[in-house]
Amino acid sequence: MISSVYIAWRYLVFNSGRTLTLVACVSLIAVVPLALEIIVEESKRQLVERAQRTPLLVGTRGSALDLVMNSLYFSDEVPQEMKVAGAQEIAATDLAATIPLYVRFRARGFPVVGTTLDYFDFRGLELQAGTAFVLLGECVIGATVAEQLGLEPGDALLSTPETVFDLAGVYPLKMRVAGVLARTNGADDLAVLVDLKTTWVIQGLIHGHEDVVKSRDSSIIIDRSERNVTANAKLMQYREITEDNAGSFHLHGDEGAYPLTAVIALPHDDKAETLLRGRYLEADNPYQVVRPRDVVDGLMANIFRIRTVLDTVILFVSLATLMALVLVFALSLRLRQREIDTIFKLGCSRSAMAQMLAAEIAIVAMMSAVLVGLAMVVVSRYDQQVVRALVL
Amino acid sequence: MQVAVMTRAARMVFGLMLMIVTAPLCAAEPLTVYTVNYPLQYFAQRIAGEHAKVIFPAPDDVDPAFWVPDRQTVLAYQGADLIMLNGADYAGWVKKVSLPRLRLVDTSVSFRQDLIDVQDTVTHSHGGEAAHSHSGRAFTTWLDFELAVMQARALTEALSRKRPEHRQDFESNFERLRQDLRALDDALSQVLSGLQPPRLFASHPVYQYLARRYQVVVKSMVWEPGILPAEQQWQSLRGFQENFSAELMLWEKPALPQTMQRLRAMGIESVVFDPCANRPGQGDFLDVMRANIANLERVVRTDTAP
Repeated sequence: MISSVYIAWRYLVFNSGRTLTLVACVSLIAVVPLALEIIVEESKRQLVERAQRTPLLVGTRGSALDLVMNSLYFSDEVPQEMKVAGAQEIAATDLAATIPLYVRFRARGFPVVGTTLDYFDFRGLELQAGTAFVLLGECVIGATVAEQLGLEPGDALLSTPETVFDLAGVYPLKMRVAGVLARTNGADDLAVLVDLKTTWVIQGLIHGHEDVVKSRDSSIIIDRSERNVTANAKLMQYREITEDNAGSFHLHGDEGAYPLTAVIALPHDDKAETLLRGRYLEADNPYQVVRPRDVVDGLMANIFRIRTVLDTVILFVSLATLMALVLVFALSLRLRQREIDTIFKLGCSRSAMAQMLAAEIAIVAMMSAVLVGLAMVVVSRYDQQVVRALVL
Repeated sequence: MQVAVMTRAARMVFGLMLMIVTAPLCAAEPLTVYTVNYPLQYFAQRIAGEHAKVIFPAPDDVDPAFWVPDRQTVLAYQGADLIMLNGADYAGWVKKVSLPRLRLVDTSVSFRQDLIDVQDTVTHSHGGEAAHSHSGRAFTTWLDFELAVMQARALTEALSRKRPEHRQDFESNFERLRQDLRALDDALSQVLSGLQPPRLFASHPVYQYLARRYQVVVKSMVWEPGILPAEQQWQSLRGFQENFSAELMLWEKPALPQTMQRLRAMGIESVVFDPCANRPGQGDFLDVMRANIANLERVVRTDTAP
């Protein structure tokens, strides 16, 4: 038996090109459906779990899918902005608690999520290091952000300008990392969480600068009267918020007019949820209420439809590949006919010959299994990123 | 032998039942409530009683309206079950830090439309933006004891939402506090109704709500009790006196003897009416307010005496 395995092994090594092709074919047949299964399950987990834990989302009328994907998974598609007054309206109904979200900016490729500290309680986020954000300009980063950017509490993280060619536009904000979240295996691992007001600082709506009333720099002041001081654009605005200059940061105008991308509404009970949804049914209401669960269910139905098609395609391709493999074996046996005749003439039995061929198949199968196992480890390791890249 | 085993078993069952019955009581830890000034701490502690630990962490020697807590203190606020705000833009630091909004309670939200706006004297603009000022609101709301009752009502509601099982206690404690505040309201109303003419000078612009509630006109200066006013400030006061005849000036703390003497020479008597925004050295909120009213009563009676 051992000699049969040895001869089979030597044969496979001698015909390494053919062997590798066989191993690759067998592995592919197994890897594609298994990897697909892992990706689909991970998509389902990420999409469904988070959606189920988010009772209602309120945003400006438009694509419900964009609203859900941006608010729950911080996708690049930014829904049309709503006003803070919209969130205040919901809170005033006393039907639901509200958590505002402003997910528009990015920092070194990761989404900057403007919200309030209530978001931490709502998602059950825990800190692995440092503290929650305290001052404007501080951020708490997800575990993956910390890992990939090599950041820890006390380090700085720059926001990414929306347009690099707008020289007169808003400059990046240097944010201080206050804390790092414990891993959640969800979208929050890839997020840079900041106070809502910090996102308005990034946008330039809240700013800090030298006190123009006290300033005596004539190159800054255009006009000074008893009740008004007018400064020009030379007035330097702070791009880093420290304990010293934090007091100078102020917002202009009514906070109710400031932008948000969505509001997470947490109704007090089922009745409150129904009443709240009823208030936003009219088409002339600028805002819409969506149940993320419903939107994600629709998305999952599409994913499963695509998956069914893919499964069918994979089944046919696998069958074709298997038939091709059988053909390869059959042809190789025919090609090896003279070699097999020689082995018989040397006194080898038919069963020994069968053992040798079975050993060849077994070795190819084992090598494929190892390869498939390795591929599955890699897919499982990066499934979240793959899902984020392909699905979310 | 069998009796001993049965006794032990009975004890164990009884112990287990006792644990099950008392478990919910043990589980209900007192709430941790933070406030932004002393009056709210006083009201909240009176209403909550033993069901909450009410903390106002500012040092004794600061004005809570302009105090800015350090990082550790803000983190302590973040960890509170409830954070009681005065509203009316009081404690500007609240807007400059991150606090959990769902745990914030704005105690003046029910009378938001009745808040008194105060305009900054100087506006500014920069870049292409319109001129603006950092205007604010008068914030010493609790000096109108009717508003103080409404603030206490908001505290009661917030506490009851957090601990519905103690609503009865909160309501009865609130009722007692309301009676105390109403008594102050009646007393102050009575004293100030005797003020002729119904006009006052104030050393600081903190008596707007008191003036509105008790129908007196207050002209506010910006004088510090511990600092002798500059000559220019005296001249301003003289200028005001030409069109505004008032014979009393309210002070947050006792003014310097020289200041009081010079005011008296101008026909203005000094009266301490402490807003009690921070913890008093002695007594509590009610004691300070009773002393304030007694101070006023003494001077108003002297003034109106034949």
